[in-house]
Amino acid sequence: MDKKVLAADEKSILKSMFIRSHLVFLNFNMAKMEANGFTATMTPAIENIYKDDEEGKKAAYLRHQNFFNTHAVAFSFIAGLAAAMEKEHKEKGTVDGQTIENIKAALMGPTAGMFDSLFFNCLRIIAAGIGIGLCSQGSFLGVLVFILLYGVTQSIAKYFLIQWGYIYGTSFIEMVFSTGLMTSLTKSASVLGLMMVGAMTASMVSVPLNLTLNVGETSVVVGDVLNSIFPGLLGVVLLFVLVHLIRKKGARPTQLIIGIFVFALLGALIHIF
Amino acid sequence: MVAEALKICIAYFIITYLDPYLVSWQCLNRPIVVAPLAGLVLGDFHTGIIMGAALESIFMGISAIGGAIPADATVASFIAVAFTVLTGATTEEGLTIAMPIGTVLASFSGMLTPIWAALAGYWERLALECKPKKFLTRNFMIAALTPLVNTTILFVAVAYGVEGLSSVLASMPAWVMSGLGAASSMMIAVGFAILTSMIWNGEVGVFFFVGYVMVAYMGMGTVPIAILGAAIAITMFMSDKKNADLKRSLSASAQVNDEEDFF
Repeated sequence: MDKKVLAADEKSILKSMFIRSHLVFLNFNMAKMEANGFTATMTPAIENIYKDDEEGKKAAYLRHQNFFNTHAVAFSFIAGLAAAMEKEHKEKGTVDGQTIENIKAALMGPTAGMFDSLFFNCLRIIAAGIGIGLCSQGSFLGVLVFILLYGVTQSIAKYFLIQWGYIYGTSFIEMVFSTGLMTSLTKSASVLGLMMVGAMTASMVSVPLNLTLNVGETSVVVGDVLNSIFPGLLGVVLLFVLVHLIRKKGARPTQLIIGIFVFALLGALIHIF
Repeated sequence: MVAEALKICIAYFIITYLDPYLVSWQCLNRPIVVAPLAGLVLGDFHTGIIMGAALESIFMGISAIGGAIPADATVASFIAVAFTVLTGATTEEGLTIAMPIGTVLASFSGMLTPIWAALAGYWERLALECKPKKFLTRNFMIAALTPLVNTTILFVAVAYGVEGLSSVLASMPAWVMSGLGAASSMMIAVGFAILTSMIWNGEVGVFFFVGYVMVAYMGMGTVPIAILGAAIAITMFMSDKKNADLKRSLSASAQVNDEEDFF
């Protein structure tokens, strides 16, 4: 991979971009999503690179006001990369403006998927799981553990990724894409995420069935029988019915929530809950 | 109640304004942070912490698929804790009302999304002025408006709603309450179903059951499961990487051979 050595002014620009990269959701909207955050993050680089070149500055601001959306941590990497490309565009002219826009657009989807599976669907579940465990015993530590594990780690990741984006540039992307490491990273993160979701399903999801069958002299508590076959059987069945509805029937979460309410109230009316 | 409602609203406004900018998005506004904060503000920190754990598990998987968030976890957590602490209701009752309230509130904030989207052209003109300071201050000013609708709703709900809500709940027949209770415990399944369907990957789906068995049969805690899971994930990644490297070196040497044959 090509590696650049950072000059002192580049370091200070990247530091200020790192702080600004926390503004990723600045006035997030459905039309341009993270465009405002991207403009705000690129400002130090654009101001430094184009200095008195008003036309170049305007074109650069316009470029980074375009629709943009990815995960907040991947955002930093792409911002670092965009800064490196803007510099080449101005100083050497080897990269044209359209290329910068194309690379940004091409990176949105894959990086969003990869970082969502790492942070939102994996690290968040672990952090929340540990935090819930501590908080349910009444310990305030759970809150701190959650913020530290889920929030602070993302800030640290942003700090490094904005520099890597700038230093390694497109060669890093080529390396990750061409070797297929992206898919294996996503898959490995899914393993960890699924294990945590499975573990938490076992401890948290339950169907409070309150049904007793009277057969002659003996009475059978249906819930206990089912749990002796497989602990929490009904919970797992309910979960996978819902997963099926989401994946195969395209059910929306709000429909599922309302459906559960109706189901639970009807169930309570006929005394099975 | 008005004084309490004001305190709650100030806490909500600060958290919602800062959430995307400090540490990370959806960190400070999660129920596990927000519920203890609401408890602290109202003078019952302990109840806040306990409810934070339960609310986080209810709302764990509730996230946006396809743009629309099905339930507003932050406002719902504030209201659930306020209701429990201020009316002396049980935590179970507080948890029961959280999801219905969150679902209704999410539709309110959804109504405003077109307004924020309509500002896109304004931001573009502002960016083209090449005045970064002005761009940033205007952004912060408008961003302060976004939580206002929910703050107002929260104020009305806490100041005038919680007592009425508790008398409404008291007058409900018993089956309604047990139905709502059953609904909120099954609601956790909706969240986890959303999560599972996002992560699901046919190749590694069985690991869901590995995690399940570790808790249901072996009674393990979250930390040991996370460590074992990380070990499995790293091993898997390394062997995938080795395979990919092998495949590349094979195809590279195959190309070299082709060239030799050609000459």
